[in-house]
Amino acid sequence: MANWVGYLHLVVVPQAIDGLIIGLALALVALGLTMIFGLLGVINLAHGELYMLGAYAAFSLTAVGIGFWGALFVAPLIVGAVGGALERFGLRRLGARHDYAILSILLTFGASLILRDLVQFAWGPETHQVEAPIAGIVRAAGMILPAYRMLILGIAALLIVGTWLLLYRSPLGAVLRAAAYDRQMVASLGIPVSAVLTGTFVFGSLLAGTSGVLLSPIYAVFPTMGHDFMLLAFAAVIVGGMGSVSGAVLASILLAEVQSIASLWISPVWAESMVFVVMFLVLVFRPQGLYGRLGAA
Amino acid sequence: MTKLAQNVVVKGVIRAGGLLPSALCRARKMLSMPRGGLQAASLTRIMGLIAVAAAVVLPLLVGQFYIRLGIEALLLGGLALSTGILLGFVGLLSLGQVAYFGVGAYISALLFLQATGSFWLVLAAVVICVSALAAVIGAIVIRTRGVYFALISLAFSEVLHKIAFNTVALGGSDGILGIPAPRIGFAGIGQIDLRDDGQFYYFALGVIVVIYFAIRRILATPFGSVLSAIRDNPERVPYLGYNPFWFRLLAYVAAAQVAAVSGMVFPLLRGYVSPDLLSFETTTRSLAMALVGGLSSVLGPLVGGGVITFMDSLVSSLTERHLLVLGLIFVIFVMTCPDGLIGIAARRLTRRERK
Amino acid sequence: MFRVVALSKSFGALQAVQDLYLDVPANSVTSIIGPNGAGKSTVFNLISGALTPDSGAIMFQDLDITGYPPYVINRLGVARSFQITNIFFGLTVLENLRLATQSSEPRRQFLRPLRRFRRPQQRASQLVAEFGLADRAEEIAGNLSHGDQRRLEIAICMASAPILLLLDEPTQGMSPTETMETDELIKSLKRQVAILLIEHDIDLVMGVSDNVIVMHQGRKLAEGPPDEIRRNATVQDAYLGRADADT
Repeated sequence: MANWVGYLHLVVVPQAIDGLIIGLALALVALGLTMIFGLLGVINLAHGELYMLGAYAAFSLTAVGIGFWGALFVAPLIVGAVGGALERFGLRRLGARHDYAILSILLTFGASLILRDLVQFAWGPETHQVEAPIAGIVRAAGMILPAYRMLILGIAALLIVGTWLLLYRSPLGAVLRAAAYDRQMVASLGIPVSAVLTGTFVFGSLLAGTSGVLLSPIYAVFPTMGHDFMLLAFAAVIVGGMGSVSGAVLASILLAEVQSIASLWISPVWAESMVFVVMFLVLVFRPQGLYGRLGAA
Repeated sequence: MTKLAQNVVVKGVIRAGGLLPSALCRARKMLSMPRGGLQAASLTRIMGLIAVAAAVVLPLLVGQFYIRLGIEALLLGGLALSTGILLGFVGLLSLGQVAYFGVGAYISALLFLQATGSFWLVLAAVVICVSALAAVIGAIVIRTRGVYFALISLAFSEVLHKIAFNTVALGGSDGILGIPAPRIGFAGIGQIDLRDDGQFYYFALGVIVVIYFAIRRILATPFGSVLSAIRDNPERVPYLGYNPFWFRLLAYVAAAQVAAVSGMVFPLLRGYVSPDLLSFETTTRSLAMALVGGLSSVLGPLVGGGVITFMDSLVSSLTERHLLVLGLIFVIFVMTCPDGLIGIAARRLTRRERK
Repeated sequence: MFRVVALSKSFGALQAVQDLYLDVPANSVTSIIGPNGAGKSTVFNLISGALTPDSGAIMFQDLDITGYPPYVINRLGVARSFQITNIFFGLTVLENLRLATQSSEPRRQFLRPLRRFRRPQQRASQLVAEFGLADRAEEIAGNLSHGDQRRLEIAICMASAPILLLLDEPTQGMSPTETMETDELIKSLKRQVAILLIEHDIDLVMGVSDNVIVMHQGRKLAEGPPDEIRRNATVQDAYLGRADADT
């Protein structure tokens, strides 16, 4: 009996906390994705590469001596700029066509290929390392938890709460939510919708880049990191419901927990596949996701 | 050319030439595609004939390397076709048709290696298995539609990729090697020996041509017309008395078959199958083929198959950055000519006809 | 022939339809009028299967069709037109109609070549002529004038040989001439089907209806023959009075 409780206490709970941490970092990516979809109607297949770009930027910035905290500030801005460029010079140029949905997917798909190969060209195909800014452990409730990961927990949580406040408690957020609901209406109120759209894309990219920086000491930096993470993020957005902010966050945590706990008992490779099984199951019983409305898709 | 090669070529040309008159006949009898009426139909026929003629003539002009590349182009073109018809005619963007391509390939590999040398048995096995799989998966994912569908199909293919990569029984990351190329018997007419590149090429061409006409035929039915209605205005369709689910599902299963049959032949070319076949890179190439060739036509993805395969080969010999080139092509085509090469050709030909 | 009993539907706090009773006899025109937001379109959505009611029943020829999906309801004999033109804009007029007539053919025939499907094709050609679209039969529907598109919208409905026809603001955006033509069309259709009509054009409604139902805020405010409704003080206050002021 004691063993069982001890196991729970010292193995499962820390793993669950780890899952929460990854889940929050994943939520940053999923949040950006779902906001971009909600406002622009675009599935950004390059989102994973934006996450990757954040990690690479962190690597280079720390390599030239700027330090992790500086990188945490600057890298997302760089990624945000790249995202903004993609929207402004790519998606916007597509114009309003009846097959915009398909073409935008294909365009971001092409962008992801370009980004991935450029990164590989510039930094080489090998894996790079980023040093965590703090080392050591934190003791809490008899558990041993890596200090840096707790830091990620704090920063990610802060950003998520901040985004929520922005969306639901600020005038800008009201504009964003209104534009997601009815773009024409917002435009007729004299608000520059194109700026709003670009801004949303930039913001989403920023979040993804931040996540890339935060996770780089844990997952290391390599060209296909974006692709793997993107699938998880998309799974989270689907399970949560496309366009739903709370859905994206909750689903991210849920799926990360599934993967984390499952990897206690099955190999990590299959734990990843478990996530997709969960996604499939959710789709069977609730095709619109936890919070979504099917019509929105 | 060696005597054997000459023999093959002559036989191949006769066989291919034999295909042509009946193809012409069938083409003439077929109804036009819904877009644009008769003009578009004759245009498609012309372009189709040009494409077939080019494909038939190719092996006579080039060496073994390019013949093999041509086979690859044809079969990957089949995969691209699978994606293209789902998108162009049902309105579903699937980023994971490679899953069925891979399933067909692995079933084929395992059966040819361990069970039988009969092509027809393996074909039957592939069709049955993939029908069942696609029906089940399709029933789940079709209800989601649009955006979700694209991502789920991608996730599905990635899961299969992982399974293939990590399962020892399937050869793991190395895949399955040493698959014997079978001889295919056509009762009464003769045999095709797939160990011979020339015969393989014309066989692959035959398979693709059959698939092509099968699709054209299916689209020219009431079923096909409902599909085009679903693509045009999915909201209205139920109010005409049609349950879109079954139509989409049937189209989904058919598209899966196209991918699976193409995939089934693929491992026989080089005698091995590896998880790479299920990789994201394959998806990328097939998507590029469909896009470049033309998403709204049956011929487009096949033409795109040829273009991308040969271009990729060329680029790879010049630089390592072939993914970048592919990405650039993607972006350029999406932004300038999303109708693909077939779309451009159609417009040029229409303009000329008006003059 | 067609009855709606105690039909209710709410969206969260909004009670869109409350306790509605309807009775539509064969070969008649029943019109539903009322200000915007009265719940008229919701009623159509409930009847045609787009929405499921919270409570109540929809009876079509003594068959309870409550909660049936749209494609079943259509095949049972209820056809619905849309307020915002919802035809197949990329297909020709003839194809639009053929799709509708084809629907009554057995599904197992659906993989036979199109050219063997003569009956739906002939019926479609018939309808094209009946609805005065013969000279535009091969035209892409998206290129038609608004009035022609509205007419095609109704033609598609009639193509499935319905017993009950739901017309959702058929004269939306039409010129006075086109409205008059629609008036005559409805009168001629009355001989074949029962019609449930939502309209804002009061003159049309009064001229064509056998029975008028006035809705207000999800409830039935009044019901009766056109003259009675015209004279009804409550209705005038709620709706007609304002409409008169506009005209």
